Amino acid sequence: MDEMVSRLVKELQAIVGEENATDDRAICTSYSRDQHWHFVPAKNPACVVRPANKEEVRKVLMLANTHKIPVIPYSTGINVRGLTIPVHDGSILLDLSRMNRILEINPEMKTATIEPGVTFGMLLEQTRKYKLRPAFPDAPLTVSVLVNYYLRGIYQTAATDGHDHTISYEMILPNGETLKTGSRALSRMPYFRYGVGPDFAGMFCAHPGTCGVVTELTAKLYRLYDNRKEYFIGFDDVATPTELIYNLMNDELAASIRLVDNQSWLKGIFGTFDYPYEELPKFVLCVLVEGVDGVFEAKDTLVRAYMKECGGEVLDLPAEFATTFEHESLGGAEKSCMVFGIKGRGNYHCIGLYGPLTLAAKYYEVHERTALEVGIPKDHVHFYLDPIYSFHGQLCYFELDVFYDGSDPGFGAKLRNYNERQFHKLLDLGIYGWFRPYAGIIEPTVERIGYLAEVWKKFLRVLDPNEIMNRGKLF
Amino acid sequence: MDMELEREEVLSAIHHCVKCKLCSIASFHPREEWLPLCPSGQFYGYQAFYAPGKMEIFRAILEGEITEPSEGLLNAVYACTVCGACYEKCKQITSVELGAPDLFEAMRHELASKGWILDVHKNIVEKIKETRNAYGEKYEYKTKSSDENADILYYIGCTARYRVPEIADAMLGIFDKIGIKYQVMDEEWCCGSVLIRTGQVEAAKELVAHNVEEIKRSGAKTIVFTCPGCLKTFEKNYPDMGVELVHSTQFLLRQRNMNLKKEDLKAAYHDPCHLGRDLGIYEEPRAVLSEVADIKVMKREKEQAWCCGSGGGVKSAFDDFALWSATERLKEAKEAGAEALVSACPFCKRNLKEAAEKEEIKVYDVVELVNRCLEG
Repeated sequence: MDEMVSRLVKELQAIVGEENATDDRAICTSYSRDQHWHFVPAKNPACVVRPANKEEVRKVLMLANTHKIPVIPYSTGINVRGLTIPVHDGSILLDLSRMNRILEINPEMKTATIEPGVTFGMLLEQTRKYKLRPAFPDAPLTVSVLVNYYLRGIYQTAATDGHDHTISYEMILPNGETLKTGSRALSRMPYFRYGVGPDFAGMFCAHPGTCGVVTELTAKLYRLYDNRKEYFIGFDDVATPTELIYNLMNDELAASIRLVDNQSWLKGIFGTFDYPYEELPKFVLCVLVEGVDGVFEAKDTLVRAYMKECGGEVLDLPAEFATTFEHESLGGAEKSCMVFGIKGRGNYHCIGLYGPLTLAAKYYEVHERTALEVGIPKDHVHFYLDPIYSFHGQLCYFELDVFYDGSDPGFGAKLRNYNERQFHKLLDLGIYGWFRPYAGIIEPTVERIGYLAEVWKKFLRVLDPNEIMNRGKLF
Repeated sequence: MDMELEREEVLSAIHHCVKCKLCSIASFHPREEWLPLCPSGQFYGYQAFYAPGKMEIFRAILEGEITEPSEGLLNAVYACTVCGACYEKCKQITSVELGAPDLFEAMRHELASKGWILDVHKNIVEKIKETRNAYGEKYEYKTKSSDENADILYYIGCTARYRVPEIADAMLGIFDKIGIKYQVMDEEWCCGSVLIRTGQVEAAKELVAHNVEEIKRSGAKTIVFTCPGCLKTFEKNYPDMGVELVHSTQFLLRQRNMNLKKEDLKAAYHDPCHLGRDLGIYEEPRAVLSEVADIKVMKREKEQAWCCGSGGGVKSAFDDFALWSATERLKEAKEAGAEALVSACPFCKRNLKEAAEKEEIKVYDVVELVNRCLEG
């Protein structure tokens, strides 16, 4: 085995240069575990390779395909839920962080074309020069834009951005062929999602494992407005604010609408641990209004009118909280990561899902109940929801969170127990879909999707007959 | 010396890292500029060179998954200046208590105890045994005005004695010009910093014992340091000797009788890691510098200053990386409109000056400028 790996590394080094491929045990170990290690145990790749461009990616994939070696694509190293932890022995970890060029920002088209190593921070630094921004996930702004969009599950911080930010992309398949989606396949204009035939951009997204390696992607950019106003409204339960959320979404009045509990994400949204959060109502709806002159004032008037009759308490909070909320919602999540530091617990578990606003209170109720059943204390149970324009199906992203001490193996066991029960309960209750195809969540789901599962498997085998693209996560 | 962290304490801290990697960039908001903070990760690229990757390696060592040294292991562990920028960023976000620099020093201690250490660092032990200084230079440093009855003792340190003597000369010049009586130890041995930072803690014990004895014998009440590495070592790794420990800039700020003539010089101040992040001394050097030059502010400052690339045994083992880090800092100073980059550490001065040979910018220690501007 060692000899085989050494030979492989030599071949990889011939492609990417000696310093960019290694089977050094320690280097490989640094890729062996992510934050989800209570669920996906540590596993080393056999080697790590760091290509600089798409031609090197192509050669690496063709080599791996020839020898039927599993490949784990990896972008900027902010990995969660075990998605880049190898399943099989002898895997190649394909570290794409060197491919970090912003290939184009097109302010007229309101698009950016990027490589996988480009982070949200890197991209905003450039797009803001044109008063544009990407759609941000509520993930650290060190994460890869391309991979977040490709995984499709955007739990965005700005409701107004809608759900899908990917326009088109270029993917290299295991056989070395390049596949271009949308208008990119027909012309040099990669600015339209739907080119010929089916929506291939959608079909290749959000698989457990991948279909190939996306080497560049064109994404939507959104306007940054000078006029902004923030409101914070307190509620004692999850059900009451849903009417206000509905009204704001139905009339398309607010850019960001986030319902959070007062002990977790609110700390990041406000950017401080040092505030008597327990004195606030249990749930706080954070609302950000923006727009051009005239439209902004009209929206703001309507928002304030709705707020008056919403049954909540409009909170008078320090001005810097509003500034931080703006930054975190429209400039990329940084302080939001303070959730990792809640009471020094250092780790988090969440089930992210899409569902209708009408089920918000039910999702929270089942979250709390299941947590208590498995022995998770009530003060570890947290929640948030972000509605998503254009609000067909009253689409919301929900997050059922538990922040906990990552060093406590007993808590890990409780969370595994929680997952086992909760996945089934949520599926029974009704959801639109899971946020990500993470460990343990897809299996009980596949049982329920009928013939679609068979088609899905066949589809993947057509693209990747040797099953090298991080297979094993599900199929 | 208290260098021992319990295994469980270390593993617990490692398990608290959620690998968000925000530790690798300076605070993004409100400036919204992408400014890397981790020289090691930025230079080498593999995950192993960033704090989250290094923590995984340490975990694997402690849990018996890594049982022998490799080139990658030694590079990942030792090609790190242990500058602590990652921890400063992390604790802002997560309020963690046990920081990466402590963990990384504990990791080096663990590795050194297994004999997994770079030859160049092992050789430092031999040099110190032979010459009592980290550079293996002939042990000799005489001053004209040392007064063995003085309350002030100037602890020069190896780098200012043997590699950057202009700093020691400047400090002594200042003492003379403002009429301060001082003494310098005839038998000043290396403080042990380089050994402790490279994990060779046991080898430092003899040095500590000797210096403590000599300082007690000196009767000094205050020790002045121009080297933050020495100062940190005395603060954190030496027993309490009942003596006041101050950095040169803290000492200078107290002097009321200095007649300084401000130069027409635009200077950026570079925070030395040991002085700033480790000891929290940010304002005093700036206050002193502002008396002799116009300060230009760089983008990465104070807790989030970019390391010069010299510390933690990097300069001796990975000089190309050290010089790259220094060049990045010099570019930042020039972008800020500075004609000179001024630090308060002989390690920083040495590395920055070497890198500055290719850049059009001057490099000073703050005491050099003060000495130059003192009208004695």
